[in-house]
Amino acid sequence: MVKRRRNTQRGSTKGLSFQDMLLCMSAFWSRQGCVLALPYDVEVGAGTMTPDTFLRVLGPEPWRVAYIQPSRRPADGRYGENPNRLLKHTQMQVILKPPPPDIQEIYLRSLEDLGIDLRHHDIRFEEDNWEAPTLGAWGIGWQVMLDGLEITQFTYFQQCGGFDLEPVSVELTYGLERIAAFLQGKGNVFDVRWNQATSYGEMRQEEERELSIYDFEAASQQTCRTLFELYEAEAARLLASFGSASGDRFPLRKVYDLCLKCSHLFNILDARRAISVSERVALIGRVRKLACEVARIYLDRKTVFVEVEPA
Amino acid sequence: MKVPRTQPLLVEIGCEEIPARFLDGAREDFGRSLLGALQQARLLPAETSPPLWYSTPRRLTVWVPAVLTRQPDQVEEIVGPPVRVAFDSSGKPTKAAASFAAKNSVTMEALSRVATPKGEYLALRKTVRGRPAEKLLPGILANVISSLSFPKSMYWTAKGGPRFIRPIRWLLALLGEGEKARVVPFEIAGVKSGATTRGHRILGKGPLRVSGFMDYLKKLDRAGVKLDPSTRRARIQEELQVLLKGTRWRAVKDEGLLDWVVNSTEWPTGLLGRFDKRFLHLPREILVTVMRDHQKYFAIEDENGNLQPHFITLLNLDGDRQGSIRKGHERVLAARFADAEFFWEADQRESLSERAARLAQVTYQADLGSYADKVARMQAIGQEICREFQDREIFTAADTASAMRAIELSKCDLTTQMVQEFPELQGVVGGLYAWAQGEPAEVHEAIYDHYKPEGLDDGCPRSKIGVVVSLADKLDGIVGGFAIGQEPTGSSDPFGLRRQGNGIVKVLVEHSLGLPLKPLVQQAISVLNVDWKRPQHEVFGSVMDFLEERLKFYLESGRRLRYDTVRAVVAAGWESPLEAARRAEALERIRGGENFIALSVAAKRIKNILAKSATASDWQPGEVNADLLEPGPERELFEAYVGASVEAGKLAVAQEFEKALESIAALRPAVDLFFDKVLVMTEDPTLRENRLRLLGKLDALFSGIAQFAEIAG
Repeated sequence: MVKRRRNTQRGSTKGLSFQDMLLCMSAFWSRQGCVLALPYDVEVGAGTMTPDTFLRVLGPEPWRVAYIQPSRRPADGRYGENPNRLLKHTQMQVILKPPPPDIQEIYLRSLEDLGIDLRHHDIRFEEDNWEAPTLGAWGIGWQVMLDGLEITQFTYFQQCGGFDLEPVSVELTYGLERIAAFLQGKGNVFDVRWNQATSYGEMRQEEERELSIYDFEAASQQTCRTLFELYEAEAARLLASFGSASGDRFPLRKVYDLCLKCSHLFNILDARRAISVSERVALIGRVRKLACEVARIYLDRKTVFVEVEPA
Repeated sequence: MKVPRTQPLLVEIGCEEIPARFLDGAREDFGRSLLGALQQARLLPAETSPPLWYSTPRRLTVWVPAVLTRQPDQVEEIVGPPVRVAFDSSGKPTKAAASFAAKNSVTMEALSRVATPKGEYLALRKTVRGRPAEKLLPGILANVISSLSFPKSMYWTAKGGPRFIRPIRWLLALLGEGEKARVVPFEIAGVKSGATTRGHRILGKGPLRVSGFMDYLKKLDRAGVKLDPSTRRARIQEELQVLLKGTRWRAVKDEGLLDWVVNSTEWPTGLLGRFDKRFLHLPREILVTVMRDHQKYFAIEDENGNLQPHFITLLNLDGDRQGSIRKGHERVLAARFADAEFFWEADQRESLSERAARLAQVTYQADLGSYADKVARMQAIGQEICREFQDREIFTAADTASAMRAIELSKCDLTTQMVQEFPELQGVVGGLYAWAQGEPAEVHEAIYDHYKPEGLDDGCPRSKIGVVVSLADKLDGIVGGFAIGQEPTGSSDPFGLRRQGNGIVKVLVEHSLGLPLKPLVQQAISVLNVDWKRPQHEVFGSVMDFLEERLKFYLESGRRLRYDTVRAVVAAGWESPLEAARRAEALERIRGGENFIALSVAAKRIKNILAKSATASDWQPGEVNADLLEPGPERELFEAYVGASVEAGKLAVAQEFEKALESIAALRPAVDLFFDKVLVMTEDPTLRENRLRLLGKLDALFSGIAQFAEIAG
């Protein structure tokens, strides 16, 4: 009893630990028939950007996937000093294609699964239409607010890679650090318990500091620009070869990786404010062009595949 | 007469959460469309109590108290061949008549004759039996619901699938009440209509079977849904009062936020939260913006308007028994404020002056250069305004210097983190930072105010220095937009130029500045260095026409002046919006007078005579020859005219427009008598020309302050 009280003073132990939360959510979505995919190994700004979402929402095949995705947004870096902002945060990304009619109820159950008693919390679906201009993707939906805290982006994808989606996918993107801080009643994300013994800060604070130092100070703008152009040129070179090489030998996903590299470099330059407004539009357009090309080829190849299969 | 049998109709579209900002429109639209369709299908009785429509974020509901059970029978007339063709000379039906009868499966006896402008025709009158509502309603409901349009709609199955504002998840459609109630069967997006609704997500159990409107209301209320938006509004207002009872505080008034809360809750319950007093050192504008725009909280102030470290949020729930919700909201707000505090402190490390150098890197518009370019243009325009102000002794040289300083710093806040986080605070943040960095009051206030007025209801910049910055900003915005072909057309106004044009007019009028706009527009054009898409004089003409439209809009919508008053005044010319506004106000006040109404009729008559009856050979404008005037009404009119014209001229110069108009209106008896007794278009050409010249003089007098002829009778 005494021991427990001391524990409470040091920091409440209520709520799931960060890692239990990851397990709990993975298990929940696994039960909904989702493939549990692995986090992607190229820097992305959001879970939407990995091929498991970007490519798989294209085309007619049903698809259910869930994965944890560390996501980097250089502009949000705060050297690990701000209690609520992270350069690299963790998303739980869920795609349901086609969306079941009771998708909102399923989503709410996923929150209850984490131990959130909705009878004692204020849950709201507030209009928020999501758009990713670098991906030629946008959708209609909400930000889900839990007691005034935005915890999930809930989107009915309308377009991706410049293509109208048939069928539509629902995307759920949970901001995991926020939810963990909420569950544990912590005002500072670095105080969140990762597991019983280790805090989020111990796991990540130093990394936050270093990533911020690089993106805000140490990164060479010139190098970032050069890299952007190299990756872009490599992608363009491969794209130009498409058609000459036989379709099934085309390294489409590698082209997409190069596009993601460009997107991340753009984000670093943007965080450094090294980009003027008009240049910004131009660079976004260049990344989008790559993404849309990839989407087009992906869909083309699929059509060929579908046509060939019955024979 | 037999009273037609009617039944009530209840329809509810169950949706995923509809955006608050579209809910009022969606409710109205659904109600009116359904009503229109029922009317068109002749299913509404002649007299009935009006239908009611309601909405919550999850439902659009219409209740029509009386729908005819069956359409009234209708007599239809089918016109056949002309009678002269239908019967031969002996009066026997011809083949044409017989085949008309055969085609309609009737005998010749059933046919009648009908008179038309083209002569008499053979016709068949037949009674078409009305169809039962039950048969018609499924199609009507499916059609009305599928045809509703929204500012932003979506697909949720696939492109080409159903479109709605958010996915439709259930449909309730009930014809009749109680045991007789029957479902109107139809289907949209794979959802079949039924007799069930759903309650509140958390407070309700569902699905709920309902047997009629009263039952529906009762069950929804038990299931945590206040269906009527006005009930929710009243409840919210009461909550705001109750929570602050016993304090001297009040919620900061905010109609927009109230609307939002009404339309984003089904069961609104107030919750009072607090935040750390230390954040009160941040400017009120920033705190209120965070609370209102980002968290949708009402800010709290005391009776003197001082912000208190509290807020009220409206839950979509029946309360916060464990206090967990309050804790959550307080934590979120603290984090938001901590962010704002961080931006405030970080931004201070670089003063606005130092930031000015960076504006060259910030693009204003791709074709219009950077913000540094824009500021340079604003300074040139501002110089011109200041010169005018100094000529009119409104400004001293020191005021001009302050205005130039304010323009120099006006756009620097665009480089701050605070404005990047809260774009709606542009200008305000610049003003606050200028204050924090020790700029004098006239400078920081002018920066703070320079986007004002942002609408007809918004205030103007407080000081004349603020006016200079605001005018320079807007003039450059409008001229630039027109120069690169981005002028407003129809509903499209990508740069918000109409709002800026309204702002220019409003500022000039409400600050009592009699500046003519022409030289300012000319200045704005001359300092604009762009790739001109069309000649500058054309742009000038378009901008002046545009500003004239804005002036009319402002006078009608902002000053609530009648349409023809505004037309009459603007048609008489408008060098300065202020002077035009004063003439219009004067005209509006006296135009109802007996003399004036008669005079506007006379003015039309004079115009008519001058334009239509008389030709150039009859007269050339010129002085009236007093010697040719006949004693009596003609001479009396001329003398009255001379007197009134001198008097009105003096009064107009003194801007005493009402008195000037009155002195002109006093001419009425003389004018009436003249037209009564004197023949203008007389035989004698000399006399005729002299009389036409007299009318020409009157016409000029009746067109100087306002075109009297434009006033509708």
